[in-house]
Amino acid sequence: MDAVEKANLSTSQKYSKEVKVGEGAYAVVYKGREIATGRQVAIKKIKVGQFKDGLDMSAVREVKYLRELQHDNVIALLDVFSSKTNLNLVLEFLDADLEIIIKDRSNVFQPADIKSWMVMTLRGLEFCHRNFILHRDLKPNNLLLASDGQLKIADFGLARDFADPNVKMTSQVITRWYRPPELLFGCRFYGPGSDMWSVGCIFAELMLRTPYLPGESDMDQLKVIFRALGTPTEDEWPGYTSLPDYMVVGQYPKTPLRDLFTAASTEAISLLAKLLAYAPGKRISAKEALHHAYFFQPPNPTHHSKLPKSKPAASQENDTPADKKAQNELYDSLKGGTGTRKRKSSMGHEGPGRPPPLRHGDMASTVTGSSSLRSP
Amino acid sequence: MSRQSILRASTTSGRIATPNVGSRSTGPSAAPTIGGFYGGLRDDTGKISEYSAKDDQCPICKTERYFNQKMRLLVSTCYHKMCDSCIERLYSLGPAPCPICGKTLRKMGFMTQTFEDLAVEKDVFIRRRIAKEFNKRRENFSSDKEYNDYLEDVEDITFNLINEVDVEKTEARIAAHREENAALIELNIQREERDVMAAQEEEERERQEKLERAKEIRREEELERAERAKESQRILEELARGKDAKQVVAQSREATAKREAKRLAERNAAIMATMASTNKRRGEALIPDPPHKPLADDWYDYGDKYVLRRDYDDAVSELVRGDMERLALAGGYRVEDAWNRAVRYAVAGLETTPLVGLPS
Repeated sequence: MDAVEKANLSTSQKYSKEVKVGEGAYAVVYKGREIATGRQVAIKKIKVGQFKDGLDMSAVREVKYLRELQHDNVIALLDVFSSKTNLNLVLEFLDADLEIIIKDRSNVFQPADIKSWMVMTLRGLEFCHRNFILHRDLKPNNLLLASDGQLKIADFGLARDFADPNVKMTSQVITRWYRPPELLFGCRFYGPGSDMWSVGCIFAELMLRTPYLPGESDMDQLKVIFRALGTPTEDEWPGYTSLPDYMVVGQYPKTPLRDLFTAASTEAISLLAKLLAYAPGKRISAKEALHHAYFFQPPNPTHHSKLPKSKPAASQENDTPADKKAQNELYDSLKGGTGTRKRKSSMGHEGPGRPPPLRHGDMASTVTGSSSLRSP
Repeated sequence: MSRQSILRASTTSGRIATPNVGSRSTGPSAAPTIGGFYGGLRDDTGKISEYSAKDDQCPICKTERYFNQKMRLLVSTCYHKMCDSCIERLYSLGPAPCPICGKTLRKMGFMTQTFEDLAVEKDVFIRRRIAKEFNKRRENFSSDKEYNDYLEDVEDITFNLINEVDVEKTEARIAAHREENAALIELNIQREERDVMAAQEEEERERQEKLERAKEIRREEELERAERAKESQRILEELARGKDAKQVVAQSREATAKREAKRLAERNAAIMATMASTNKRRGEALIPDPPHKPLADDWYDYGDKYVLRRDYDDAVSELVRGDMERLALAGGYRVEDAWNRAVRYAVAGLETTPLVGLPS
């Protein structure tokens, strides 16, 4: 047994696998425990051998980038070890995600709560961008919430580092509702601005409590965006008509954001407008956004320990075993890593072949899949 | 009543064909005369204070509104309508029976009609009367059950009066209750008044605070404008004196930014103070929310160890030059980011201690 094998064995013995929590096309997730401390962890066992061309691309990405990023607002990858032919990722255990919180109508959001979530999202994303990493799949479902209320960006299965100038990137990333217009027009050279659009959509969703730009297909997505924000002019977004997949979508007038976000403060509207700017180069960066007046305006962002939390899915009088409840919660927290993985694995490679477009049904199945598992 | 509110009354009622502005009364509302508009007189808040309709008719003298635009229909204590001239004719010599039901009425006892439906009118009137006498509160009872029983009784009495069931017995019950609880009723009336006063005061104070704040902001804006004008005047003068333009502009920008920051801080402090006082008044335990700090980590990015140049001789980035530059611009790709990364990694690498003991 050589040194590498020995190290691997000692790592794998640090954790105990308990119950299986969920299974996707690409990974099986277990609830586990660190034996020394007793702390709960999630163990994501990646299926190898199913794909002939070796390890799944998103697993490589996840390991590669999470290994680099250590931040309060980015999910922690605690360890990686292999067992037989499988790769195991040991991840921080998290209770819920922002989507659950948004959908739970019993939660009332104060403006300060939204501010707090935005601060944590932007801090995490700023840290990624500072390390030259694009997340490329930001959505409420991928913003996990720890039991102390801290928000953590998760699911780096589509992440990549900033491209070198001569490398084309795929435009088939980011879940459709959160995908910026430049990617919908097939742009192959983009940057951190594309993540910022998603943040804008999430900000709007936090205020509206419903997805802001829910397109039914890629074509429809552009229509929905233009209808909401007006068709961009060449002035507003220089050069967009020469993007690879450019097509005429139709002329829609601009309506002020104020008309829809009636309760938002002036500063909130101003930040939202900057996040949803058409020209990606003019879109506010994560760092600039964190210095935006919105965050300095009272009220102060809510302390993370006081933020609204999701109610446990199983009610008290139900005789659901405690571990089943935890199991459901864990499944929820990792469903980005299991349920949605199917489509991602099919389009993970940055190559000349265009990956198949995301289907609306994929998203729907993710949602229904989780709820059917959640209800006792 | 202002012209505006009359017009609003006429347009919102929906019962009118054309608002007859010509015969509109401009007199004080103490002696309201109904002009050529229907739906009723409205008070300052837009609520109808006296109801009237186009097809009104006095049931006694059969005068129709069509013939007498200024006719007022009032309601007797037995809830029968009659016009003001009939009231004058029948009751100016003292109490007399109602021409419809025979109940003895007095001229003073007539009320204005607020609701279209007289049943509602009656209901509201009786409830108001009962509420005045049966004003006990929860704290006057020792248990929820007793309080609930009391509320049930009150509801019974109200129902009886409205539907005229056992009126005499019910009136006797009311009288008995009044006698028994005279002191308590008086006390509760006083309490009620105090509560209403306090609520009004609170509202007034909050309104004042808001007004004050708005005034303050306006004053500041004015100040800002004046300062800006002064500033540009100063710049012009200095330029005329032949100073370096760039320097002058930079100086003025700095001064403006400083002023703005100070102003913002002051305003925020003021808002926080009022919010804190509101929270305290509401008795909320306040766990402090620390003010926003943009970045919370202390991760070192070597930013102080190098300065990024504006351009590099970079063969790799040739692709995004020229035609591609336009595409990159449209997509938000910045070649500077790639340069920044390359330079930072190089700089960071300088601090790494070489590995020792590697097989050569």
